[in-house]
Amino acid sequence: MVDLKLKIEFGGGLELLFSNRRTHFVDIPSTKQQGDREGEPVDMDFLIHWLRSNSLKERPELFVENETLRPGILVLVNDIDWELEGEGDYRLKDGDEIVFISTLHGG
Amino acid sequence: MSDLCGNPAAEAGEALIPRKRKFDRSKICVKCKTNPGNLVIRHSVYCRDCFTSLITAKFRQALEPHINHASTGPRRGALNPSGGLLVAFSGGSGSSVLLDLVHRTYCTNVGSDELKGGREHPRKDRVWKRIHVCYVETSDVFPETSDRTARMREAVARYEGCEFIPLRVQDAFDRSWWERVSGDLSVLPVDLCRGEPVPIDALKAHLRALPTATAVLYTLSTLTRLLLLYTAYSIGASHLVLGTSLTSLSISLISSISQGGGFVVPQAIQEEWIPPFIKRIPGATSWSGEVRLIRPLRDVGMKECTAWVWWHQLWVVGKQRIPISEKTIGKITNDFIIGLERDYLSTVSTVVKTVGKLAPKGKPGLRCVLCELPTQQSAQGWKARTSIHAFEDAASPEDVPTPLLAFLCYPCHTTLTSKSSRSSKSRNLKSSSPTSEPSSTLNLPTWGAARLACGIGDEESTSSSANEIWVTKKLDTDLMKSLVGEFMLDER
Amino acid sequence: MAPKSCSLCQNAKPILRRPKTGQQICKHCFFTVFETEVHNTITEAKLFKPGDRVAIGASGGKDSTVLAYVMKTLNERYKYGLSLFLLSIDEGITGYRDDSLQTVKRNQQQYDMPLKILSYEELYGWTMDRVVSTVGKKSNCTFCGVFRRQALDRGAASLGVDHIVTGHNADDIAETVLMNIMRGDIARLGRCTAICTQGEDTIRRSKPFKYAYEKEIVMYAYFRKLDYFSTECIYSPDAYRGHARGFLKDLEATRPSAIIDIIHSGEAFEVKDEVRATQKTQQTCKRCGYMSSNNLCKACSLLEGLERGMAATAISDKGRRKLDGQAPTPENLRTIPYFHTPITVAIDVLPTPP
Repeated sequence: MVDLKLKIEFGGGLELLFSNRRTHFVDIPSTKQQGDREGEPVDMDFLIHWLRSNSLKERPELFVENETLRPGILVLVNDIDWELEGEGDYRLKDGDEIVFISTLHGG
Repeated sequence: MSDLCGNPAAEAGEALIPRKRKFDRSKICVKCKTNPGNLVIRHSVYCRDCFTSLITAKFRQALEPHINHASTGPRRGALNPSGGLLVAFSGGSGSSVLLDLVHRTYCTNVGSDELKGGREHPRKDRVWKRIHVCYVETSDVFPETSDRTARMREAVARYEGCEFIPLRVQDAFDRSWWERVSGDLSVLPVDLCRGEPVPIDALKAHLRALPTATAVLYTLSTLTRLLLLYTAYSIGASHLVLGTSLTSLSISLISSISQGGGFVVPQAIQEEWIPPFIKRIPGATSWSGEVRLIRPLRDVGMKECTAWVWWHQLWVVGKQRIPISEKTIGKITNDFIIGLERDYLSTVSTVVKTVGKLAPKGKPGLRCVLCELPTQQSAQGWKARTSIHAFEDAASPEDVPTPLLAFLCYPCHTTLTSKSSRSSKSRNLKSSSPTSEPSSTLNLPTWGAARLACGIGDEESTSSSANEIWVTKKLDTDLMKSLVGEFMLDER
Repeated sequence: MAPKSCSLCQNAKPILRRPKTGQQICKHCFFTVFETEVHNTITEAKLFKPGDRVAIGASGGKDSTVLAYVMKTLNERYKYGLSLFLLSIDEGITGYRDDSLQTVKRNQQQYDMPLKILSYEELYGWTMDRVVSTVGKKSNCTFCGVFRRQALDRGAASLGVDHIVTGHNADDIAETVLMNIMRGDIARLGRCTAICTQGEDTIRRSKPFKYAYEKEIVMYAYFRKLDYFSTECIYSPDAYRGHARGFLKDLEATRPSAIIDIIHSGEAFEVKDEVRATQKTQQTCKRCGYMSSNNLCKACSLLEGLERGMAATAISDKGRRKLDGQAPTPENLRTIPYFHTPITVAIDVLPTPP
């Protein structure tokens, strides 16, 4: 099974939760490994949980809330608003560039 | 809802707010109808280019009709501000976007091409001759935070032609700052400042006297607002612009309403202020030093600000952190509105639109000595009737009002007196000021002290007869101290 | 550390921390301030005049049970000179109203007040159980709210009263202020903090508990040993209002005065004149004579929707205009009896037991 290589960027303060690094290159499995959806191709929901388990260093509540991405985080998939790409259902492809930016940084 | 029905929805009698899909129809930009979309803004899809012109247009629409002293209606003709422009800068993404927009729209020609000027197009590089950018640092209040002034200066320096003005929040208690901004029009009497406290100690003592964390945040933002307004006045600016986004504005409106600010909330979106020591001639059409506070991003959500920062590669320093871990009304409101916005996409714009349709009820009284917003005349009797704190009040709610209360608006009064459910009085401020003794009076910011000393009400030539006992009445220092001393909270 | 004596009378031992002010006070002072604040509310707004006939909207729940007790107490203490009645609405929800109506009947005996029970079934020909089985659980609260409002007026008219008092408390009003702002309901925002409302031809309605905290109402019932029935309606509530209520509770937890501060806010602003000018004016319903902003009042159009099997259409304004504009209503359609101004209406009251 081949891993997907992704470029992840964090901004708006989210980078502070991820080792204070803005850019991360990660390899994630291409299909889900467990649960009742085992074998399905990985999607954004999977990536969010994967990042929480593998990259997130502190205060997970600022990234994930009630098992979904915390409201107030802008997500771009290859420079396109993830709301246009199906949000959590977007199926990841090798080489995707994903950006997470917190919008909660005030005036 | 009453228990007439277990379900509170009933009497409202309207259908639920429908949840909607995140975007309408297609993924193609709704504006150019050719490019694939990059961003969804309240159901509409925009490509990057159209996004840039959309935000620029919203910014100009919110600002330009208010540039000329006399309202010109939907922008017609040349833009001729009476004075300069002061940009409030916090380092957050809102004010970073604002500064970027101000600069590219009015300082350079970068914007001209994409703005499709046409005949009515004003000569943007001439609108403001001088642009100042002001940052108010709070780090001296909280030793665990570090001073960001240098970084703010660096961020502002990227924009040519913008002059940086650094302030510190304790300047509000600084006699020399006051003399600088007020000129010799309003002088603090020397005896008032007997033993003249160091400004930061005066500020800390003031904050320490507050009963809640909510009150500390409210006070810091009030002080910041007035520091900016007085600064704008002192440099001859006719306009003060703030980078409050639609999202932040709706949060602050709900938060203000939750703190009793209903009377002033209609003007929170936009405000026209003048120092109380300037006498304004009623009906005058010429500019006499008023400062117009405008929020040009009030139609631009946080999401759009964030996308602007990302796509235009702005360097965002980040706001100074206020290290208060306790829950505050502001934080609770923030979490509530952001959460609600996820499911009900139009929440923030509805809040702002609704408040825009409101006006204060009844005639305003004097301006509050703390926040300089108009007070309501009947507020203290109302308070005494609806929440009895002592039996005397109950017997005669129409009692002679306690003098200082007449000088404060309802939300400032609430800020000074309303306790938290747990009445936690000690906050992290305590550790940082070992020298300050428990103060016996409430320290007032310079503008408040000056007004009390110089005779409050002098300036309110048009205020109603209910205030006449205050007009031209000078308060001597002892009387003044006895008034503010009433705000000593028993627990301190 | 607890103070040694009550912060109000400085004498008795405090037994409670007052939710509204945080003061630690004794039981006697709690009763005094609670009742005095309601009295202040009544006198400040000049709600009543001697000889008024006043119906208490009674559900058997905490707010109205306490309201009935306090109204009776104040009426005697301050000699308001009111004749008080109990008025209950039976929505026809099996297992919900059945028990609470028993509480109301007990109140009738305890307080020696005449009681009138009016049912949806009687007035509209529909029980809420049947409405829900037709429209589902999504917009049922709209039907129930509209029906109740009119039913209360009808019941009051048949009692010959000129005033209804309801148990809406400060929490309800603060929550309504917030909701009306968040969903942009300008018309309601303008009137939701009014203590007393009155349509052209209808009975005055007011909220003596406008400034009374829900927690204090419960506390009052507890210390006065007033029994009430507390069950949530079995039909699902409005999620949006649920959010608003949760928010309000969070605010109250961090600063108890927030509830009263929000009400203050709501009273301190008004809808701009130019906005108000564009709002609809009140008229009377062409079919039943009840006040309405359209040709048909909300209850009539909802009822027509139910009767014609088009319930969903009738909820929205757009749908209603469609109903309005359509071919004449079928002749045999069930309608609400015509509403007359309550001056000469016969009095039809359950006799008070001896």
